[in-house]
Amino acid sequence: MDSHVVAAPEERVDSARTVTLNVNGHARELRIEPRVSLLDALREHLGLTGSKKGCDQGTCGACTVWVNGRRVLACLTLAVTCEGREVTTIEGLSADGQLHSMQAAFVAHDAFQCGYCTPGQIMSAVALLAEGHAADDREIAEWMSGNICRCAAYPNIRAAIRDVRDGAGGD
Amino acid sequence: MRPFSYARVTDADSAIAMVQETRDSAFLAGGTTEVDLVRQNVLRPALLVDINDLPLNRVEDLPGGGLRIGALARMSDVAQAGGVAERFPMISQALLQGASAQLRNMASMGGNLCQRARCSYFRDATSP
Repeated sequence: MDSHVVAAPEERVDSARTVTLNVNGHARELRIEPRVSLLDALREHLGLTGSKKGCDQGTCGACTVWVNGRRVLACLTLAVTCEGREVTTIEGLSADGQLHSMQAAFVAHDAFQCGYCTPGQIMSAVALLAEGHAADDREIAEWMSGNICRCAAYPNIRAAIRDVRDGAGGD
Repeated sequence: MRPFSYARVTDADSAIAMVQETRDSAFLAGGTTEVDLVRQNVLRPALLVDINDLPLNRVEDLPGGGLRIGALARMSDVAQAGGVAERFPMISQALLQGASAQLRNMASMGGNLCQRARCSYFRDATSP
C-alpha cells in the first residue's frame, strides 16, 4: 500500500465549483465540475451551441475554438483549465452584425452541405491565415487536415480560404 | 466521465508534492491523450494537477550547438522555434507531420514522451 495517501478518492473528488471564463470578450460565470470539457461548458452551460460535438475524441475538429488566440479542440480541453485565458468561439467572430470575411466567403463559395463541421472549419481557416500556412492548395489542405467534412466540401472550403487570403472577401 | 479533483499549481515543487501525496493522481499538461483516456475510463484519476502554468515552455539554444526543450513547450511552438527550424529541420518537420494543427497547439513535448499505448486493446475499458 502507498504510505502517502492523504485521502481516499471519494473524499477528494471535487463537486461543482464556480469558474469564470472569458468567452468572446465577456466574463461568464458558471458552476461546473472539473471533468466538464470546454465544449460542454460552452454548449450546455453558456448556450453557445456554435461549436459542435462531432467525435468528442479530438479527431474531427468540429469543436475547434481559440484559446488565447490559438486554435485548439474544445472537446479535449477541460473548461477549468481555461480560467484566466481568452476563449473565442464562432459566435465571437462576427462584429457589429457583420459576418467575418471568412464567414462571407464560405457562404459565397457554398463551402458546406450539411454545415455541421462549418463552425470548426471557419475557426480553423481564420487561424490558418494568421499562421501563414495557406500558400497553395496543398498547404491549405495539409493545415486544414484537422477539420473533417463528411460532405467533402473541401474544394469549396479551399476556394473560400483562397479568396480571403487574396483579399477578395474584404475585411 | 468519472469525477475527479483538480488543482492548478504555479511551481514544480508543489506539483510534484501533490502528485506524490495523492494516490491515483496525475499531472495535466496538454490533455490531448489524457482527457480522452479519462473519458474512456482507461485512466481513472482521483486528482489532476494542472501544470500548464509552470515556467517550462521555453526552447533554448545551448552553447555547443545543443537544444533544450521545455517539457511544456507545445509541438507547434517547438516546430516553429528558430533554433529548431534552422538547425534541426528534421525535428521541426517530424513535429509538423504529427496530428493536426489544433492538436499540435495543445500537445506538450513532455506529454509526447509520456503518451500511452495507442493499442485499441489498451483503450478498451470494458474488457478485462
